[in-house]
Amino acid sequence: MADKPKVAICWLGGCGGCDEAVVDINEAVLKVVDAVDFVLWPVALDFKYHHVEAMKDGEIALSIINGNVRNSDHEEVARLLRKKSQLVLAFGACACFGGTPGLANLTTKEDIFNWVYRDAPTVVNPKGSRPQTKCTSNGRELTLPEFFGEVYALKHAVDVDYYLPGCPPPPDLIMNAVTAVLEGKLPPKGSTLTPHKALCDTCPRNKTKPSRFTIKEVKRIHQIEAEPNTCFLVQGVLCLGPATRSGCGEACLNINLPCRGCFGPVEGVEDSGAKFVSALAAIVDAEKEEDIRKVMDGIDDPVGYLYRFSMPTSLLRKKRV
Amino acid sequence: MKNYEPKLVCFSCRFSWGYVADEVSLARQVKNWIPIICSGKIESTHILSAFQHGADGVLILGCPEGDCHYQDGNFEAKKRVYLLRRVLESYGIEKERLEIRLSLDPEGKTIPAIVKEMSDRLAKLGPVKKAKEHAEKASAV
Repeated sequence: MADKPKVAICWLGGCGGCDEAVVDINEAVLKVVDAVDFVLWPVALDFKYHHVEAMKDGEIALSIINGNVRNSDHEEVARLLRKKSQLVLAFGACACFGGTPGLANLTTKEDIFNWVYRDAPTVVNPKGSRPQTKCTSNGRELTLPEFFGEVYALKHAVDVDYYLPGCPPPPDLIMNAVTAVLEGKLPPKGSTLTPHKALCDTCPRNKTKPSRFTIKEVKRIHQIEAEPNTCFLVQGVLCLGPATRSGCGEACLNINLPCRGCFGPVEGVEDSGAKFVSALAAIVDAEKEEDIRKVMDGIDDPVGYLYRFSMPTSLLRKKRV
Repeated sequence: MKNYEPKLVCFSCRFSWGYVADEVSLARQVKNWIPIICSGKIESTHILSAFQHGADGVLILGCPEGDCHYQDGNFEAKKRVYLLRRVLESYGIEKERLEIRLSLDPEGKTIPAIVKEMSDRLAKLGPVKKAKEHAEKASAV
């Protein structure tokens, strides 16, 4: 037992889907269990944070952290695991880029609290109570984590060694990553443990895509009956494939849905949204201002679409208010 | 705010703007002037990056419509600008801070005036609002 490498799996601001993805490696999880000792996995096992606190620095071989950093508790846990671990893997779109909850960066903390504790139709809060980081009840002091003003990716809070994006990451890449750590065959620090090409490179629909095409209208997926073997962009449906990293196994495309970008930018690119703007502009068939407006205004929420999973790591990061 | 001078970045295409001008003397008159070959070369990333680094506005000077040396680079730029203006607005950056003008001025004499005209408009808008940092986290980012 003592010689096995120790592994921690932990969630911060996530939905639990990434933990589920680890279980989804099915019977292969038994091999992993044989090879390592889990020391923390809040979703599945009953270890406590003070068990981790009692460990020596660097005693954990690998911490697999999913979810973003939204409050001071997430930050504290991330820092604790960083201190006790040799390697930290940012696991899933939220840990890598902030994820879907990162879209909250277009809203202020105040607006979020106003909605959640005052304005939402289901709220009953006659005293107008708001969460406090400290309060006294029956003579005892109670504390709550502080809700930060914005959503952060894991790398903003602690030093991250490797990244495995996806919402959630697919089983084959999870096994590759764990095996690489166990065998010590790791790429340089800071690498993303996925293929480096754009999704279009591996998309089966690429074979039928004409070498040149343009679109005169942007359609949403529910507005058409999408042809299952034709490139979505050719059909006028926004698909983030040109600006998104491959490796997901084309899960969305296989069920006839366009790419939403959960694997984040391709290698060497920081802001995939900006890249997609350029790619989209190139295929829009419009020259006059009113024609451009007609096509581009067909996109309901450009910033939400372009940065669905990556707002906190986009160049502009959050709304200015 | 009295002495506020907006930081404006001006990209201009060499094929239509100032190609017979003395670039050195023109650069002295126009701060942050970046002559490039084809306005279509200006990636969306460059524009967002300018705002990320504190620009108050970005002006793109491209070739007249139908006169792009590379066929449609200026139209590419125009389409990007239209979509990016919507993106900027969502980030709380006024769309007027990003402009494109497709015209011709080989001597570049009008560039300082066009830049000043936009700078004056930006001055009225004031600086881009700052993204508020969380006090403790700001140091970590």
